Amino acid sequence: MKRNGSSSRFRQSITTVLYPLFFGILILVLWQTQALHAMLNIDPFVLPLPSRINSIIGESLPKIMTNVWATLIVAVAGLLLGSLFGYLIAIVATVFPKWGAGGLSIVTAFNAIPIVALAPVITNWTKDVSSDANIRSMVAKIIVVLLMCTASMSLNAYRGLTELRPFSQDLLESYAAGKFTIFRKLRLPNSVPYIFTALRVSVPLSVISALVSEYFAEYVIGVGRQIRENIVLGQYPTAWAYITVACLIGIVMYAVLIVCESILLRHRK
Amino acid sequence: MNGSQTAIKIDNVGMVYRADNQEVTALTGVSLDIEKGEFISLLGPSGCGKTTLLRIVADLLAPTSGQVLIDGSSPREARLQKKYGMVFQSPVLYEWRTVQKNIELPLELMKLSKEERAERARKMLELVGLTDFAHHYPQQLSGGMQQRVGIARALALRPEILLMDEPFSALDEFTREKLHEDLLRIWGKTNKTVLFVTHNIAEAVFLSDRVCVLSPHPGRLSAVVNIDLPRPRTMELRDTPEFTALVAKVRNSFEGV
Repeated sequence: MKRNGSSSRFRQSITTVLYPLFFGILILVLWQTQALHAMLNIDPFVLPLPSRINSIIGESLPKIMTNVWATLIVAVAGLLLGSLFGYLIAIVATVFPKWGAGGLSIVTAFNAIPIVALAPVITNWTKDVSSDANIRSMVAKIIVVLLMCTASMSLNAYRGLTELRPFSQDLLESYAAGKFTIFRKLRLPNSVPYIFTALRVSVPLSVISALVSEYFAEYVIGVGRQIRENIVLGQYPTAWAYITVACLIGIVMYAVLIVCESILLRHRK
Repeated sequence: MNGSQTAIKIDNVGMVYRADNQEVTALTGVSLDIEKGEFISLLGPSGCGKTTLLRIVADLLAPTSGQVLIDGSSPREARLQKKYGMVFQSPVLYEWRTVQKNIELPLELMKLSKEERAERARKMLELVGLTDFAHHYPQQLSGGMQQRVGIARALALRPEILLMDEPFSALDEFTREKLHEDLLRIWGKTNKTVLFVTHNIAEAVFLSDRVCVLSPHPGRLSAVVNIDLPRPRTMELRDTPEFTALVAKVRNSFEGV
């Protein structure tokens, strides 16, 4: 049975890793040889060649890294705080089921507000937070990401805390366990896979919303903001260097999540 | 035995559910005295209220009439004092805990020390023959093994009473017959009072001292059949005319099915 499992896992890694990798390399080759430009009728000025993008990343690495850190702090802090906030809402909804459903609907409604509308409001809110424009902007951006990441966590965690296997609550009640014990021994561990379901949505979302929130920030910093600034100035190779870096941030954060998930959930089905 | 004591006294218990202004009588006028160390089956088709009755004894439900006394105290007191261990229709093992940690779960709630928990879990695993699987996770075990862990967990509390709610209904015939023998062996060693819910006539006859036949619409106790087959009982017993006759007797005691 074990051998069977590992061979199917091997086959799975071919389809999930090798095929996309092959496809990526194919695109890269077409792009570099300008076949892509011919096919799609694009000017290499607007879509610079991979080699050019790569050399720009090499040349201005220190400046790029400063912007990467700015974006990463916003994305990660917003993700963690938003997920924590979402989980707390799920706990409240579990403890008070009568308010629960309503509360979660409000969270979902908040989630539907576009960042374009949200960002200026929050920037206005946070204008007195600090005299330093960088810190002020960062707080505003983190709040945007936080609000974006709250909904998926609260909805999924609520399911994890309340959708229990048949009889699993009866079991603890037959041991005369109280509500808190049931929470600690059953609901909490039961919600762990659901936390990861939420994070699979909110990790990419945190990167995207960090990038977009930078567009509207007072202080000019971050990968997203650099993409915009450089496109406005017609510096497409530099803009594409930042686009590449933005993709890498997303991929690395998602990979970290998948590794954590495979370690923490290794014994579960 | 002379002067045998009552472990569970079920006194005129009734249960009426109210839903959408309709009253559904799940149980009516059930009275039954169960002696210490007895193996009793509650047998009946779906809807006869057998699981309802078990849940009332376990204090997971409150009856709408009548009362239950466990060792002279209320089901609630019995539950708080952990006088019974319960085995459910599914094994109800927590998939994030190893087999050993699942058995230790009730012991954690009793605030036993780590060493004592491990020691008791070890003894229980030995009793159900799963010593080598202590550190496996439930999903690595077969259905029959999982339910044996469920039994070990119920016994780890050292309860006087074992309440079993169709524990083998999801298992295949071969596994079930093996577990019948295992259960009787464990019961013989530990002298628990067992209240066993089932819809399987042969299972009830094979295991029990007395089979309580429940009939539906409304759920009521329609007969109590003494099973005076010798113990220890083994699988071969099923092929004897005495066994077959008792199965027929139990089957004929149903009303209105």
